[in-house]
Amino acid sequence: MLKYLKSVALGALVCSAFSAAGFAQGDVDKGKKVFNKCKACHMVGDKAKNKSGPELNELFGRAAGSKDGFKYSKAMLAKGEDGLVWNEETLNAFLTKPKAFVKGTKMSFAGIKKQKDMDNLLAYLGTFSTAEVQAPVAEQDDVSDDANAPAVTTQTNVAASAAEVPEHGVFHLGRVATDDEIAAWDFDVRPDGMGLPNGRGTVADGEEVFVEKCASCHGDFGEGVGRWPVLAGGQNSLQNERPVKTIGSYWPYLSTVYDYVQRAMPFGEAASLTDDETYAITAYLLYLNDIVDDEEFELSKENFLTVEMPNTANFYADDREDEPQYSVSADPCMNECKVGPVEITKRAQVLDVTPDQE
Amino acid sequence: MSKKSMLRSAKGRNDHPDNGRRAFLKNGLVAGGAAALGAAAAGAAQAAGENVILQKQDWRTYLGDGVDARPYGTPSAHEAHVIRRNVEWLTADPVSSVSFTPLHELDGIITPNGVCFERHHGGIAEIDPTAHRLMIHGLVDTPLVFTLEDLKRFPRENKVYFLECAANSGMEWRGAQLNGVQFTHGMIHNVMYTGIKLRHVLEEAGIKPNGKWLLVEGGDASAMTRSIPIEKALNDCMIAFKMNGEALRPEQGYPMRLVVPGWEGNMWIKWLRRIEVGDQPWHQREETSKYTDLMPDGRARRFSWQMDVKSVITSPSPQAPVTHGKGRTVISGLAWSGAGKISRVDVSVDGGRNWRSARIDGPSLSRSVHRFYLDIDWNGEPLYLQSRAMDEYRNVQPTKDALRAVRGVNSIYHNNGIQTWYVAKDGVTENVEVS
Repeated sequence: MLKYLKSVALGALVCSAFSAAGFAQGDVDKGKKVFNKCKACHMVGDKAKNKSGPELNELFGRAAGSKDGFKYSKAMLAKGEDGLVWNEETLNAFLTKPKAFVKGTKMSFAGIKKQKDMDNLLAYLGTFSTAEVQAPVAEQDDVSDDANAPAVTTQTNVAASAAEVPEHGVFHLGRVATDDEIAAWDFDVRPDGMGLPNGRGTVADGEEVFVEKCASCHGDFGEGVGRWPVLAGGQNSLQNERPVKTIGSYWPYLSTVYDYVQRAMPFGEAASLTDDETYAITAYLLYLNDIVDDEEFELSKENFLTVEMPNTANFYADDREDEPQYSVSADPCMNECKVGPVEITKRAQVLDVTPDQE
Repeated sequence: MSKKSMLRSAKGRNDHPDNGRRAFLKNGLVAGGAAALGAAAAGAAQAAGENVILQKQDWRTYLGDGVDARPYGTPSAHEAHVIRRNVEWLTADPVSSVSFTPLHELDGIITPNGVCFERHHGGIAEIDPTAHRLMIHGLVDTPLVFTLEDLKRFPRENKVYFLECAANSGMEWRGAQLNGVQFTHGMIHNVMYTGIKLRHVLEEAGIKPNGKWLLVEGGDASAMTRSIPIEKALNDCMIAFKMNGEALRPEQGYPMRLVVPGWEGNMWIKWLRRIEVGDQPWHQREETSKYTDLMPDGRARRFSWQMDVKSVITSPSPQAPVTHGKGRTVISGLAWSGAGKISRVDVSVDGGRNWRSARIDGPSLSRSVHRFYLDIDWNGEPLYLQSRAMDEYRNVQPTKDALRAVRGVNSIYHNNGIQTWYVAKDGVTENVEVS
């Protein structure tokens, strides 16, 4: 206990020493954004409590593995006993490569790669530590919050004592997804641009990739081979006897093209295109559909939302309920509902397109 | 000899009604007739009756397979024609295509797992369940990862629901085209799902207040995706891992699929691996380019999720003609509605001039198919068979012409128009449209 107190005191000193130089480098607001990476497991600020990671108030100066009510890995507890105290230097080292710095830590986080992000994050976390001179005043301020603290701590103790049971949710099932796992699977793109990766590609680049990887089914000009989908043309055909629904004539959003190409194409080799190739193919499809007319046109994350699709406005919400056949409330006719003898007007036999049964 | 002729008669049903009847005549009546003719001449030694009775069958004499011969049972060899079939010219490649349920050979309300229609966009994903994860992330308090074993620890429920492709009957918009209920209506199946409420999984992660939509995604080579409004997700969607008591079949999304009761089949994501919570829909390919309904004015409906009230007579039908001649005849069919239960099914034998209410038999469950029967005495004159379903919200199945009057013929999806089967005097049945 003595040791613990000592290290807190020491940490506070060390920390305040750093805070003058160190935190000044970081931007607290930007650090708050970086902290989004940590939020799945860690809380900080008012009402913060332990989740699948310990809460991070008063982190600076805290001995490693010392947060009450949190079940640490053996490795982290050992580090604390060896005297590891969290300060800008040690946090910097730990958060750069957590598993290297504390071998065996439970924290499943790959690490922060950019030093700027690190500085900003530590600046942000520093605002929740009383390393500053006005420590006594801060403690006074915290009295009201502290009144809630015992209850919270008890609660977390209960959860923690049930060994490996996570704290989230109602049934406490599943485990927290890591950022790397989410990044590995989350590649969908939305009309508002959410999900678009960095990258770029020109119409000319796209033609090259398209001819190599797409044209065997879709044709060199998106005209479609056999029954494979037609991708270009069909403008102003939607009211025709035989409408031609293509990217240019029908699809309301360009994001759908990008999303689908990198999601499911090329057929039989899904998710094999690079981001730049996908931008290039998308640019080429715009060109085939006369939505852009310059072979030098380059599509990128930056100009993606400026492209307008011709048919965007022509979609509306399901209104089947308003159709006449559903708006009648009378019981259907049972007797003599039609006049005249029955005549066959159409027969499937004529077409003879039913597959053989043998 | 008798075994062989039984095979022929079973196969004959699948062939042409005349063949079936011929086989039957050969087998029974001819033998009986010959016996009757010969009785006087040949005297008492000549027995009268059917050979299948008078002669001892092989299976009455010789031992059959033991219990170790068929560890996972399959249907009788005489039912080999009861299979899913596809229509080759419909799609460019069978890997991204559809196979149809043989409705004309089934009865009751449950579709056997092996003949449930299939629709894949990147083939059947063969997934090792221990290597499968379900991730939920986006606008949630805690992004989570679940194993199949994790999901089985949530409270379970059992529900019978139909799953119908929005394009079921979509080839019939321009008129009668395919001669068989399997092809006109076979993109539907109806099984009992065991699984958990999607709501439990969402609440486990904690939906943020601005979380209004889900993107659900499959783990197959098409990574199929759809956007689902949060209200539906919290209301009655399930994550299922069993169908009809056993694990989902690979072609139905093993090890887990989404169940979206009453809504179009494409949304029931198979091989479910990811749920992202967002504040707006994603407008994925299958909800923009596909599964939007083009109207005659060139504009298109989107988010037409619910499946309409619908029914069809499964027998007689082109693949299940009447082979017994006039007299007692069972007209049998299916009715369903994405809104709820079926309250009534009417059947017409004169092309919609007069109707009689059919008898619904078996469980009546919300958003499950209902089995109906009308038992008639057929006088041998041509029949123009139609069925018309009504659901508990008084939605009445419309005629095809009523639908065309509003929607034209290019909307592909949601064709729930009344089907007509023409039964000729010889029992041969055909897909037609009538005045």
